[in-house]
Amino acid sequence: MIMIPAAGGTMQPAVGLIANPASGKDIRRLIAHGSVFDNNEKANIIRRVLQALDAFGVKQVLAMPDLYGLVLRALEDTQVGLRVEFVNISVTNTAADSRLAAAVMAQAGVRCIVTVGGDGTNRVVAQGCGDVPLVPISTGTNNVFPSLVESTLAGMAAAAVACDVEPVWDRAVRQARRLEIVRGNTLVETALVDVVVYDERFVATRAIWDADKMRALFLTAPYRGTIGASAIAAYLPQAEEVARDAAGLYVELGPGGTHVMAPIAPGLIVPVSVRVVHPLELEQTIPVTYAPSILALDGEREVPVPPGTSVGVRLSSHGPYVVDVQAALQAAVKAGFFIRKP
Amino acid sequence: MALSRETLLGLYEMMVKIRTFEERVAEIYYEGKQPVFNIAAGPVPGEMHLYSGQEAVAAGVCAHLRPDDPVTSTHRPHGHLIAKGVDLKRMMAEIFGKETGLCHGKGGHMHLFDPELHFGCGGIVGGGIPHAVGAALAIKKRGEDRVAVSFFGEGAANIGAFHESLNLAALWKLPAVFIVEDNLYAISVPKTASTAVRSNAERGAAYGIPAVQVDGQDVVAVYEAAGEAVERARRGEGPTLIEAVCYRFRGHFEGDPEHYLPEGTKEQWKQRDPIALLAKQLKDQGWLTDEDAQAIEERMTALIAEAEAFARESAYPPPEAALTDVFVQAESPREEQSHG
Amino acid sequence: MAERLLTTARAIAEAIAQEMERDERVFIMGEDIGAYGGIFGATQGLLEKFGPERVMDTPISEMGFIGAAVGAATEGMRPIAELMFVDFFGVAMDQIFNHMAKIHYMSGGNVNVPMVLMTAIGGGYSDAAQHSQCLYSLFAHTPGIKVVVPSTPYDAKGLMIQAIRDDDPVMYFFHKGIMGLGWMAPNPRATGPVPEEPYTIPFGQADVKREGSDLTILTLSLMVHRSLDAAEQLAEEGISAEVIDLRTLVPLDRATIIESVKKTHRVLIVDEDYKSFGMSGELIAIIAEEALDYLDAPPKRLAVPDVPIPYSRPLEQAVIPSVEGIVQAARELMAE
Repeated sequence: MIMIPAAGGTMQPAVGLIANPASGKDIRRLIAHGSVFDNNEKANIIRRVLQALDAFGVKQVLAMPDLYGLVLRALEDTQVGLRVEFVNISVTNTAADSRLAAAVMAQAGVRCIVTVGGDGTNRVVAQGCGDVPLVPISTGTNNVFPSLVESTLAGMAAAAVACDVEPVWDRAVRQARRLEIVRGNTLVETALVDVVVYDERFVATRAIWDADKMRALFLTAPYRGTIGASAIAAYLPQAEEVARDAAGLYVELGPGGTHVMAPIAPGLIVPVSVRVVHPLELEQTIPVTYAPSILALDGEREVPVPPGTSVGVRLSSHGPYVVDVQAALQAAVKAGFFIRKP
Repeated sequence: MALSRETLLGLYEMMVKIRTFEERVAEIYYEGKQPVFNIAAGPVPGEMHLYSGQEAVAAGVCAHLRPDDPVTSTHRPHGHLIAKGVDLKRMMAEIFGKETGLCHGKGGHMHLFDPELHFGCGGIVGGGIPHAVGAALAIKKRGEDRVAVSFFGEGAANIGAFHESLNLAALWKLPAVFIVEDNLYAISVPKTASTAVRSNAERGAAYGIPAVQVDGQDVVAVYEAAGEAVERARRGEGPTLIEAVCYRFRGHFEGDPEHYLPEGTKEQWKQRDPIALLAKQLKDQGWLTDEDAQAIEERMTALIAEAEAFARESAYPPPEAALTDVFVQAESPREEQSHG
Repeated sequence: MAERLLTTARAIAEAIAQEMERDERVFIMGEDIGAYGGIFGATQGLLEKFGPERVMDTPISEMGFIGAAVGAATEGMRPIAELMFVDFFGVAMDQIFNHMAKIHYMSGGNVNVPMVLMTAIGGGYSDAAQHSQCLYSLFAHTPGIKVVVPSTPYDAKGLMIQAIRDDDPVMYFFHKGIMGLGWMAPNPRATGPVPEEPYTIPFGQADVKREGSDLTILTLSLMVHRSLDAAEQLAEEGISAEVIDLRTLVPLDRATIIESVKKTHRVLIVDEDYKSFGMSGELIAIIAEEALDYLDAPPKRLAVPDVPIPYSRPLEQAVIPSVEGIVQAARELMAE
């Protein structure tokens, strides 16, 4: 594993890089009209990130290995001076890789982690990264958490964060909320955007697209203009009102409510019946007793709730730190970060 | 797409049936080949490519198919044909090369044809893909709601037939479903060394075909994705490409030394045995008990023993039968002749 | 009433049209067979009559669409696929050799592949090595393919209808020089009487195109025309040549061949395909097996001398059998 000198020494600014080779290929290409993010394009995105990091003083990148070698491919056609090393994990080609890689990177002392994926990817990375901020670049299907940002700019922002440019941390890094799934007192899973109680038993193809099977929705924030399950609240006037004073939202779904036309997947706009919108306070836990069911976290079926069992969903302030790319760039401009003497 | 208990137990039983069949064929295959391996010896001679480990793909896809939906398969065809609903006796007899076999002993394990099930396969990688296109073309011309399905490996996705077929199927908007069984290896060459894209699902975009990647070890995922694809085809909305990521538990063929496998990876994959995975999901839901599972296994074992007995007892075709079936009409039908 | 005259191309197109009218399972696909009417005219008028659903222009995708024809045939359709030049077979060889030809056998006779694969053959117009071959022997060598090679408009129509109605895969080879195309060298024999009503010519029946008593010329396709021209010259020299048009190589009409050899005692084989390991050698082997004692002279053969077809006119004319070459070979055979 790569050794980075401990903080306080003459540490070289290092950035983590986690690119999910599996994102952007699930069944939402079939049941909806999700865009395809092929891996050659992802390699291209990585090249742009590396160029930006290299141009602005980042000397080391610590990357997640994957079976396909996304980062290796990116490097093949890129001339950069920075050193790219891979974290030493055994590749399983599952989400566990991203979680473990994030943890190893955090331990190694990277200043931030650039993620290339969708909501699902960031959810898993957030479980491993501790308090290292994320710079998410969206290549998924539902991209609520990661911003649609040109990856060169994301790389420039990441460089500013990594190089400790003075006002950047204050102005552009914030801690996100998260939703925690608890069984008794045990935290079993987390989500960054939304949790849906889905009337189905199996993980299967992960995605959720049948609005009639959605029983309840939890949101970390009153989102606007989003896609996916969070859209159900995003286009609902009463949600806007409830959200005014709330940290998050808890929405009961089911027959007999207000029908909102919501884009629950790309190109899939369906009526969803919303019964009640509740505010959700920080640290408030709502029991889910609808069983059997399965919880979809950030758009993917993940946690089965077998018959006769229940779980709790809690809104928490302990989400990952996230870099606001535009704010980081502005702060870095003020600091003259992009100025070089001729 | 109802993931009902009945449906999932059906999938479970089908996977057990395929696994039991394959493991029994493996045992039979080594009869007469030990202590010295001679590929031509024993009751089942020749190459033998078994499907163990990939059951979720065949079971999950074929559960949506009717007997009259055409299926083209590969050199590893047993799982697909069993899932399509073949008479195990005639299939086993064909593998034994017997007169009572599906092809009267002329095809063997790699060339199984069952016209009642509209099933064909062959030993040429990628060879069956255009046939599914043609079958789908026939279906479309007749205005039927059948769907043609082609199973093939990720190795076949690099042959021209795959690309020509995808282009034709998309161009003509045919009711076809292409299933890439990505078992990571084309004989010994890993996909990473053969394929310029990580997932063949990415290749659908080049032809405007919706393409998805699914966990081929999770039969519920395969079932769900295939269900959407098959229904889409039946509705006349065109072809779909599904890449199911899976693993060969028995290597490319019987006798494969598998020295090309990185250490420990097979064991890792076996942790996700598709049958065990579904069993766990069913048990979690209270839909399957250990007793149920055992009963299913016993029933399948008995069924396959019956097929084996039938195959063993059946006669070999007479040698002179080798000279028949080259043509339907060896002589021309002179009664249709009006001139000449 | 005067006989109706058609070019071979028109005769083939008419045969296909009549079968498409008779049997809705018949459809045709290939490159430039629609609006263009086939590069060699074999599908003229079909698009207008039957529309693009049944007369399908395909992409340049021979493995794909010939394979699709196999798949459609196994599903009970009766597809006709056109391979523009036989020389292009290479890109689709797997589908032809391993699938079209073998599925019926591999299935133990349970699956039929009733399709026609028609294709243009032959040189003589400086199209060189990749657009001038005949290659029917190559396909006749493979079990499971019926091989049809007509020479006249009349035979072309009857054999095409027979091919479409046949339950086996049939390869139908038409020589570019017999089609009656305005842009090829004029060939009066490319136009001939063709009845309007549908008719079939059974496979495996050679046709004695000219009776004779001194020697037998076994041939097919354009070489029938050249052999007939040669026979006329030979007649002037007092040599009576019998010209047998084999019409189909698979099945092969052995009886007519043997009968003729027993009558004339001399045999000349004229073949536009490559010489070695092909049709000419096979025919001589059959004669040796069944009528050796009847021969008064060793058999003779004229064929492409195992070189690719060259481009330059004198080079090409040097390798493809000519009327003069046939006359000369016949004289030599008579002198033995």
